[in-house]
Amino acid sequence: MTAQDTIRARARELLESGEVASFVGWEAGRFANQTTPLIISDPADADKLVFNEYCVNTLAKYVRDLVPRGKVGLVVRGCDSRGIVRLIIDQVIKREDVYLIGVGCSGAIDRKSGEPLKKCVECRHNNPVICDEMAGDEVAKDEPADRFAEVREVELMAQPERSRFFESVYAKCIRCYACRDVCPCCTCRECFVDARRENWVGKQNNVAENRFYGLTRVMHIGDRCIECGECERVCPMDLPLMKLNRKVIQDLNDLFGEFESSMSLDEGPEPLITYDLADREEFM
Amino acid sequence: MILNKKNLTPLLENMAAGRDVFVPARVDGVAKFALFGEGVECAFDLVNTTMPPKDLLFPQTQKMYHFDVDANGNYRIHEYDESREQVVFGIRPCDMRSIVCLDEVFLTKGFVDEFYANAREKLLTVCIGCASAAETCFCESMGVDPQAAPNADIMLQDCGEVYRVLAQTPKGEAEVANWAAFVEEGDAEPVACELSLAVNMEGVVDKLEGMYDHPIWENLSIKCLNCGTCTYVCPTCHCFDISQDMRRKDGVRFRCWDSCMFSEYTMMAGGHNPRPEKLERVRNRFMHKLNFFARRYGMSLCVGCGRCVEKCPVALDITRLIDDIGACDVAPAAQAE
Repeated sequence: MTAQDTIRARARELLESGEVASFVGWEAGRFANQTTPLIISDPADADKLVFNEYCVNTLAKYVRDLVPRGKVGLVVRGCDSRGIVRLIIDQVIKREDVYLIGVGCSGAIDRKSGEPLKKCVECRHNNPVICDEMAGDEVAKDEPADRFAEVREVELMAQPERSRFFESVYAKCIRCYACRDVCPCCTCRECFVDARRENWVGKQNNVAENRFYGLTRVMHIGDRCIECGECERVCPMDLPLMKLNRKVIQDLNDLFGEFESSMSLDEGPEPLITYDLADREEFM
Repeated sequence: MILNKKNLTPLLENMAAGRDVFVPARVDGVAKFALFGEGVECAFDLVNTTMPPKDLLFPQTQKMYHFDVDANGNYRIHEYDESREQVVFGIRPCDMRSIVCLDEVFLTKGFVDEFYANAREKLLTVCIGCASAAETCFCESMGVDPQAAPNADIMLQDCGEVYRVLAQTPKGEAEVANWAAFVEEGDAEPVACELSLAVNMEGVVDKLEGMYDHPIWENLSIKCLNCGTCTYVCPTCHCFDISQDMRRKDGVRFRCWDSCMFSEYTMMAGGHNPRPEKLERVRNRFMHKLNFFARRYGMSLCVGCGRCVEKCPVALDITRLIDDIGACDVAPAAQAE
């Protein structure tokens, strides 16, 4: 039995028994080697579910909208499961709101290039960090790419060059907010960019406003980023967004010791919401 | 009249003297229409740019007027008109059709948008027909011929080595009169463009009349992220917001693209939101594309360029929606009054 067979069978059972009200996975898209997220509530639709190397979307964020309808079943790989942990720690959902079918993942493939997705090459957790059952076996972890290499590239730039680099990045941003909308850490009831009365950030599209949006988002996510890389994948303008997220993570590791967010439900408080007398205070 | 593709660069250099000529190019990795000049390499190999050319007529951010207070405390208003002579060279037939739609919105039915009208009047359009299509192209299904654009000033039909030159408007004829050094007499046969993607639009507009409360919208919207990607890469989406930047008594009023996918788009003073959820927003977008616009202007607001199909983060695909509407068992205009 393949993982896909198990996922279909279990989704059908969970929906039939009423244990879950909806189930989240993927279905085939219109084009060859394309998938798209699928959310079903009818057990008869379970056979539409697919699981293959072209499942590029992460699924955790959908749970937020679905929980009001009842318990949600979903397929989780490493990235999806960390998204779920994030939502639980951030008190967006409760653990009992979801039923998780884990699946080992060797990385997704870009249907156009046929190459592994960048986010998957950099992935450090192929298997779910939490789940209720596994569909198939865990997969062995490949040696992940050095995820800070691209941060060092920017750090090595001389200051004027680095300014130009960020200028060119934010000159491209069209402020579609896809990076925000796909992110499992972005769950504010009202995003600061939508708070028009306060007008934290203006609506003009220019480098200054775009950069203010981008950097504020990075800092707000701070130590919560689960490194799923979805922001970078969905960006229609191909902004190198993970460079920024990873810079924050690299600095956190340097200041407070190695930390990976959303690895388990009982992990200690994140470094940025913890005060310790031993914290480095280089600016004092 | 034919134009050898080898003469494109010299022709463009000639055209760019004293005018801004925009060509499809990859700028920092983004395919869009860029100002022809040093450092910009034309990418006529692109079937379609990622960003549509609408920015040339309807910039993402456009200053409308500047205001301040004089010594006597009276407000003064200074209007902006940044329109200038522009040429768009290498625009595709789908994008030319999008300009038909934008012209309807900004110039007809008693509403003339001055900013758009000024820019439109000063725009020369040189359309290049498509010899090949991307997998996401479905313009033919939306009534666009990939080798023809009747509203372009000049049409260049792709015939392989050469373009067949058609001057289609007085403006186009005047322009082509200056091309003598680059074109030659003769004729050529346009390459037939094969599209792999097609949808059946027959009956869709009428069917949608009775589908406002159909479950199809729930099934569609449930996976939408409600980002603005589809609306910003769409060549026909034209919604904007007006806002201002104030510094003491000085300020600039500007307009900028807005997206019906954002909850803030319909937020009213007082806090009421008539489209509070994804369902209402997604339905509005597709109803506007496929029904509302057709009812008002007699044409679809989707031109089949395929950009949203290509760029949607969750592969929410308008061509699948059109197929699904076609498959729905709804009597045409069942609920229309």
